[in-house]
Amino acid sequence: MNKTLLSIVVGASIALSAQTHAAVYADFPVTVKNYTGDKIHSESFAGQMARHNLHNSVKKLVSKGASLEQTSAYFNGKAAGRAIINPVSKDGFPVLQTQVDELSAGKNLSGKAYKGLITGMPGGLTGAELLELMMVKAAQTESGFDPLTGYDYTQLISKFTMGAVFYNQAVDSYLDEKLAADTKPNNKAYKDGAAYTGKEHVWDEAFGYFGAPAHTLELTAEDVYLIAKQKPEGFAKADYNGDGKVSLVTEMAYAHAYYAAAFDKGGKTQYLHTIVQAFVDGRNLISSANGEALTDAQRSELMGYAKVIKVQWQRLIAEAVFKYAGSVYGDLEKLETIIEANGDAVKAYRSYAKHWGELKGFALALEAGGVNLGETGVKMNRLLGYSPVLLGNTQVVALVNGEFVQSSSVSLSEYRVHMIKVQKLMIDAFGVEARSKDVTANLAELVDALGDALAAEND
Amino acid sequence: MMEWLLSFIQSWFAELTGLVNQGSKRVFVGYLLSAAIIAVVWLMWQRRLNFLSALGWLFQRKLWWSHSSRSDYQLMVLNQAVMLLLSPLLLSKLALATALFYGLNDWISRPLWSSEISVFWTSVLFTSCLFVVDDASRYYLHRLMHRWPALWAFHRVHHTAQSLTPFTVLRTHPVEGVLFGLRSAIVQGLLIGLFVFVFGDRVTLLSLLGANVFTAVLNILGSNLRHSPVPFSYGKTLESWLISPAQHQIHHSQASAHWDKNFGVFIALWDRMGNTLEYGSNTQQLTYGLPDQKLNEHQLVTLYWQPFKSCWRCFQRSKPGPISQTQQMRHDK
Repeated sequence: MNKTLLSIVVGASIALSAQTHAAVYADFPVTVKNYTGDKIHSESFAGQMARHNLHNSVKKLVSKGASLEQTSAYFNGKAAGRAIINPVSKDGFPVLQTQVDELSAGKNLSGKAYKGLITGMPGGLTGAELLELMMVKAAQTESGFDPLTGYDYTQLISKFTMGAVFYNQAVDSYLDEKLAADTKPNNKAYKDGAAYTGKEHVWDEAFGYFGAPAHTLELTAEDVYLIAKQKPEGFAKADYNGDGKVSLVTEMAYAHAYYAAAFDKGGKTQYLHTIVQAFVDGRNLISSANGEALTDAQRSELMGYAKVIKVQWQRLIAEAVFKYAGSVYGDLEKLETIIEANGDAVKAYRSYAKHWGELKGFALALEAGGVNLGETGVKMNRLLGYSPVLLGNTQVVALVNGEFVQSSSVSLSEYRVHMIKVQKLMIDAFGVEARSKDVTANLAELVDALGDALAAEND
Repeated sequence: MMEWLLSFIQSWFAELTGLVNQGSKRVFVGYLLSAAIIAVVWLMWQRRLNFLSALGWLFQRKLWWSHSSRSDYQLMVLNQAVMLLLSPLLLSKLALATALFYGLNDWISRPLWSSEISVFWTSVLFTSCLFVVDDASRYYLHRLMHRWPALWAFHRVHHTAQSLTPFTVLRTHPVEGVLFGLRSAIVQGLLIGLFVFVFGDRVTLLSLLGANVFTAVLNILGSNLRHSPVPFSYGKTLESWLISPAQHQIHHSQASAHWDKNFGVFIALWDRMGNTLEYGSNTQQLTYGLPDQKLNEHQLVTLYWQPFKSCWRCFQRSKPGPISQTQQMRHDK
């Protein structure tokens, strides 16, 4: 009797501990054979979190009109002593680290930017070259905005960095070729003396780039959204270890994880939890190999998790394209009305440019996933063009000697229709479901308002 | 399977309760109540009955529990299940609206003047257009149902009602239900697509009790008396514009002189244009149903199955097919 009770208690504790273990991306055991160091856990993604902080800081600097020297220190530089510009402690939301080096030393963004061709902007540049160009151009503006081209560099750089660095590194490298059997194998340390195996660290790096708190599965999408926004009401949710400060390595939300949370809190999608669950499941699988090379079956299962992550991550970026195409559509409606009435369009134009920068940044990010988007990519780029259609019906058409050149374009009204088509393309090509700022939402609302015709009423 | 069945029964029950608790449905309890009040007042005024006698006359058992009325109830209950099963196959209003919206955006550009009309007037325009076009399409389909033998075979089910209660509005063959659903999807889908194309997100439906405000107001004003023994006439002037309960009762009259009259639902203009308008009278006395009606035409199986047989005969050249009420009328003349 006592034995039975004991086995139930032990069984339950094991199940409970396994459950706890599975829910948080933390406390994975060291499985490297003959490891001699003093680490007791193997997960490591501080380098990725340092890059999230570099990205947040670059965004802040560009928006404040910082010099190229200042922004480059974070974008290209690796020097020690860089303060984190964003996120910093706020009332009700203190953060633990203030220096990039406290997360990981010697990191930059440019070194990890996509080296493939980006066709959504002129000049035949690679992702890395395009970001460099944008950094230079941004430094020539007052606060990251060039009214002559309509480029909001703060948004373009931020959204494209998220794609060209974080998304590209994760889905095109770590979850792609680095999952091959003979690359970064699991029966060897990632590098000499490391507490993690090749595959463990490859997986951790991909997880880090997504930007989710390690305890995401214990949080709601709303919680993660509040954390990324550094809202005081999100603090208790963020401070998982209860030390009174939010760790920028394990407890903060960044980049695409923030967008996933923003879409998911609408209730129609579950990008955040689906992606993080796949990361956690994949990591548990690798840990379970206990430092041995992954079998074909294990690697195949791992590729399954990687596929879930890739598909969901791409769709999540497509959701952002969808959303900002809707925002641009609304901005264009306002602009057309203002212009028709000879009103002051400065504010509306600024809002249009901001949303276009976000739209284009995410659209360019889709190109950086290492998969050929084929006809979808061509359609998307043609619909968006190289710049927003400007008030005189012109648009950037080329990059000549480092300068953007404009030519006549479609009208604002026609360009507005392009946004409808972009949204439709995101539905047809990527199956987006959250559909924020859906320009056809009113159709559904009116259909709902009119009710069904199921009653079979006669006259 | 069991799970599906349970969820289906739940949905069926929800549809049935929805008939009486949703303002978008004709037999919504609020509309029934307002119709009852109007009927009592009318009976006290026109028939000089006291309140209790008026109530007694209105709720007489031989009306509400007649063979004809009981078959109305059976059809009502069963049709909700049939329509629920058919609903996934029906043309989606939203799909049509979206297709038109995308199509229009492909073909033409949005007129700039549209943004000068305020949200309120945009909504007034949308709600009015919807009411008028919807009503016109109902008239036209109803007229076709009487004129084409293959359609009359199904619409006949509605006309076999020999006593009229508000629930007779639901005495419909499912095929006709599908046709009316299709009509509604086409009209509403196209108008929604068109208005959202022209006016963007500034279009809203002016609604009352969850229905088009015009429909809701007319329903409050006693639409349910159309199918009732109360011959409430509006007088010739108003009846030239709005179909009164008395006029619709003429539409149900067995007398051949009344056949193919008053196809309209709310607006009388269509009947005037189609030369089918007949004025009502507060003193009219009518017999409802069809002269060639058989005894078994209140049986559920007959009501559901016979129309298919009749319809099929319309397409068989070797055998003489059934004729529509219109053809019969022309023949009689």
